[in-house]
Amino acid sequence: MTEITAPAVRSGRWRDLAVATGAYVLPVVFVLLPLAAFFVYSFFSVQGVELVRQPTLLNYRRFFADEIYLPVFLRTCRLCLEVAGLTILLGYPVAYLLAALKGRKRYMLLLLLLVPLLMSYIIKIYAIRSILGGTGFLNRFLMWLGVIDEPSMLFVYNLNAVLLTLTVLLLPFAILPIFLSLERIPRRLLDASSDLGGSGWQTFRLVILPLSLPGVIAAATFVFVLALGDFLTPQMVGGQSGFTFGRIIFSQFGAAFNWPFGAALSAILAAAVMVAIVIGARFGNRIAQRGGSP
Amino acid sequence: MTASRGTVVLLGCLTGLVFLLLYGPLLLPIISSLFAVKQGAVQWDQPTLEAYGVLAQNEGILEAVRNTVTVGVSAVVLSLAIGIGLALYVNSGGGPARQLLQFLVFLPFLLPPIIIGLSLLIFFREIDFPRSLVTVVIGHTVFVLALVYRILLVRLQALSHSLVEASYDLGASRWQTFRLVLLPNLTGAMAGAAVLAFALSFDETMITILVTGTQNTLPIRLWAMMRLGFTPDINALVTLILAFTTGLCLIAARYLTPRELLIEES
Repeated sequence: MTEITAPAVRSGRWRDLAVATGAYVLPVVFVLLPLAAFFVYSFFSVQGVELVRQPTLLNYRRFFADEIYLPVFLRTCRLCLEVAGLTILLGYPVAYLLAALKGRKRYMLLLLLLVPLLMSYIIKIYAIRSILGGTGFLNRFLMWLGVIDEPSMLFVYNLNAVLLTLTVLLLPFAILPIFLSLERIPRRLLDASSDLGGSGWQTFRLVILPLSLPGVIAAATFVFVLALGDFLTPQMVGGQSGFTFGRIIFSQFGAAFNWPFGAALSAILAAAVMVAIVIGARFGNRIAQRGGSP
Repeated sequence: MTASRGTVVLLGCLTGLVFLLLYGPLLLPIISSLFAVKQGAVQWDQPTLEAYGVLAQNEGILEAVRNTVTVGVSAVVLSLAIGIGLALYVNSGGGPARQLLQFLVFLPFLLPPIIIGLSLLIFFREIDFPRSLVTVVIGHTVFVLALVYRILLVRLQALSHSLVEASYDLGASRWQTFRLVLLPNLTGAMAGAAVLAFALSFDETMITILVTGTQNTLPIRLWAMMRLGFTPDINALVTLILAFTTGLCLIAARYLTPRELLIEES
């Protein structure tokens, strides 16, 4: 750089300051402030229909003390882990195929995966619902095959239905991170493995699988977080028994009309999400490091 | 990545199963929208477009479509403008402050939509801002901004820094460098981000349901209709929306083909 005169530096600094302020204003106002307001609300309480702005831990105590909320929360976490596991099992082969294909074929397949992602969430739930119901397509099909004599209640508007629906909905979210991590594996590593006499299976188990684990973990985190916060799916296919945590939160802002309690439950949900992300990041990093220096 | 022929066949079968799961359920409403339905059974010998006619006369739905498009376009324009500014700013230096800013932008995408929806709901109530389509636009912008910003930032980082330096060395101002060097390199990413953002907004339900006032967007309208049960006009609407989003996706793909997706292969 050539010499810079003093006034130029000063005006540069002022401009930098203005630019920086401009950059921060919107995220602070529309992300940070609402989140702060919501967090503060979780310490308020409700009396009748009046909001009481006296800080209290009552809402959080209620979550741990009441015999409904904590079990539902834990059950929802387990459900979401199961969804993550299922999506990875189903999604890994697809990701692998994607990574193995070339050119136009890969592109078409990728596109076919992206199309459902962009399709309306609510429509997908609706479509799956029409398959799962008591007189739904699945039951009628199984009866037609003679597998069952009368409609099975296994998947009719309960937690199983929620599990299945979430799995189908979130599958693309699992496939893409795995695909990206598979794609990033340098070809020379695979060549080296086969040059050294590794069979296809050995190469997969000892080279490809470990190197794709960060993607798998990213996928699991993704799916878990998305499933945990969902309240539409359980609301639509969960029926009476399929009560999840997201649904309880939503009801606080509708029928129950207890915003502070809903805010407290959401804060717990946010904490769970952050824990999941941190665990996922830690795990991913450790695996990536181990892969880097074996 | 390579795979033997047998592996590809096996993977192909498993992939087929996954696509059956992804697409299979969608066929049902499409088929039922094209045939008469009596007591839950599709009458295969009675193809009809009646349901679509009913739909075209439903003023509530037409209004919901208009609202959805208005909200989507507004959110896309806003998030592109803000996103490019933020990406340029974050890319221009390092430090914890920029990290924090980036974290704030990503937060609405990382946190469950229900939390973003609730915090905005509470925020708007606290500042006495009535719920309307404006609040929906704000909610959608906050949500899609993370994605738009990320796409633009990745593209910016992929650009060689020497490009910008060369531009400065040749005497270009900041604005000239942005307009003549950076922007042309960003158009592909911007187009992709815009389509993706619009699709996300078009489909957004969880935040919208919490921050909307009396005016409904299409997903909210559908949600209300579906709670009443399965009717032919819902199936017709569903079919049209599916056709639209698929078209959107194909358009996006057409623009993004060589640069966004196939470039990874080289």
